[in-house]
Amino acid sequence: MKSKIFMMIMAMSLTFTVGTVSAAGDLHIYNWGNYTNPEMIEKFEKMHGVKVTLDGYDSNETMLAKVEQGGSGYDIVVPGDYMIAIMVKKGLLERVEPNKMSNFKNVDPKWVDVYWDEGRNYSIPYQWGTTNFTVDSTVYKGDVDTLALLFDPPAELKGRINMLKDMNDVINAGLRYLTYPRCNANKAQLKELNTMLVKAKANWRTMDYSVIEKLTSKDVDLSQSWNGAAMRARKDRPELVYSYPKEGFTGWMDNVAVLKGAPNLENAKLFINFMMTPEAAGMTSNLASYANGILGSEKYMREELTTAPEIVMPAGAPAPEFVPPCAQEVTDLYSKIWTNLNK
Amino acid sequence: MADIATTAPRKIIKGIDLKYQPGFSQITWFCIVVLYAPIAVLVLFSFNENRSVTVWTQFSLDWYAKAWENEGIQHAALVSLEVAFVAMVISTILATMAALVTTRTPPYRGMNIAVAVINQPLMVPEVVTAVATLIFFAIIKQATGISGIGYLIAAHTAFCIPFAYMPIRARLEDMDLSLEQAAADLYAPPFKVFRRVTLPLLMPGILAGAMLAFIVSLDDVIITLFVAGPGETTLPLYILGQIRRGVTPEINAVSTVFLGISVILVTFIFLFGKDKK
Repeated sequence: MKSKIFMMIMAMSLTFTVGTVSAAGDLHIYNWGNYTNPEMIEKFEKMHGVKVTLDGYDSNETMLAKVEQGGSGYDIVVPGDYMIAIMVKKGLLERVEPNKMSNFKNVDPKWVDVYWDEGRNYSIPYQWGTTNFTVDSTVYKGDVDTLALLFDPPAELKGRINMLKDMNDVINAGLRYLTYPRCNANKAQLKELNTMLVKAKANWRTMDYSVIEKLTSKDVDLSQSWNGAAMRARKDRPELVYSYPKEGFTGWMDNVAVLKGAPNLENAKLFINFMMTPEAAGMTSNLASYANGILGSEKYMREELTTAPEIVMPAGAPAPEFVPPCAQEVTDLYSKIWTNLNK
Repeated sequence: MADIATTAPRKIIKGIDLKYQPGFSQITWFCIVVLYAPIAVLVLFSFNENRSVTVWTQFSLDWYAKAWENEGIQHAALVSLEVAFVAMVISTILATMAALVTTRTPPYRGMNIAVAVINQPLMVPEVVTAVATLIFFAIIKQATGISGIGYLIAAHTAFCIPFAYMPIRARLEDMDLSLEQAAADLYAPPFKVFRRVTLPLLMPGILAGAMLAFIVSLDDVIITLFVAGPGETTLPLYILGQIRRGVTPEINAVSTVFLGISVILVTFIFLFGKDKK
């Protein structure tokens, strides 16, 4: 009796081992968690008769670690701008040439020649946003469009500020405030940055990613944040205003790309073409609450997304700056400043 | 580790014994609160009506209903349970064999090394095991072209073995050898001795080891993160993937349910472990 059960269990577990034999109608997507609209996936599945699996990662670096070795089994990934540049250099992406596909005309021309993929041979825009800060306009009534509020705050904001715990976001904001270039290796300028940051830290309350929770619980009155998070916080705290500092700010963009050695290459290409349709882009924006970069998607997006100041940049704001990854020696210097700041 | 089950009851010496030092109970309570308060808050907010995880409005079971219907959570929970179950079965069988070999034989050269190898997942940092396993499986996948959930199950089985091994070995050392010797004296062949005498006596230890292996497999994050392939997201991975983009109280609800399962299983382990010899 016992050995019969034993045999059954062994047989069951062996069937699990055989697992997914690559069929013609599969697609394996590896995206950020909670970033893919399930209805959009269903639409794609019905349109092409493909079965889609969706898995989530929490950071670009985790995704890179998993796919670098090869054989991960994924077809589609959605890296950030700097990660695309890294992956292209490492030869991890398939050159699927979206610029030759039928829906390429929908891509907003200003996102075609970007530093991480000139002419769009490997990837297409997915969502993009800006990283700035948002502040309660009843607490601070002055002009919000300046980085001085982060580094030299007025009395009513001292001790009520949250910064993102992100080395690049904090250091780049500091460099812009001092009007120094990004990817800076100039030791004198970095020393000045270091002193300025340490002095400014006395006025910060916390350095934390959970921006929405901190703002809605009134823990802080000003927080560095991504534009989508600022918009969501504003729902619960309507006095918040998103700032577009005149000194400049960081833009980021997530892009859909195909992995080299993807088991379902043809389906992956179909998916890329599908993601360039205004309807798919609109559905993604509705879920993720960011701008997409595909023309004509506004009519599929929620009303608030087409009018929110966090999503639609006001006319006078400077263009967002997409900062390429810096050389190793610069990153090492930044790490020293960051470690010192976090002491 | 072998000493755990065989220490004689200690005599309590007042004045030197730690339990009677002043401030001991206060420190204990402080530690318990610091460890468990976050979990209590997690469970509490799973019953919160609004979406925030910091501001309480009203009692509601909505999030449990939402979590129940969420396809991503359902699929992840099923994968977690499937992997944990199979890994538990295989690792318990292997751990039983390992425990018998390392206790019922006279010590041979290299036995300590064998025990160390069995316990390797406990001693090496998990991320090292995870990356090494990832690279190893990548080589195999590219050489043979076979993919599937078998890789994940194999990885889980490997690190579950020491967790199943410990309680079984402890139980074996507790057991009275004379019963097995008596059975052998009565002309029972070794396998019959095992099947009719050792195994029933060992059953509490095996069950405890199996449940421990199940829980450990269910909870694992780092190795699963690196080894899981497409469609093999387990529940902890699903939760981790949500963190960057904002966690809803559905996660609180799911976590509370899994916490409940773990508590029930650990209670069973505790009760079985206290079984009479």
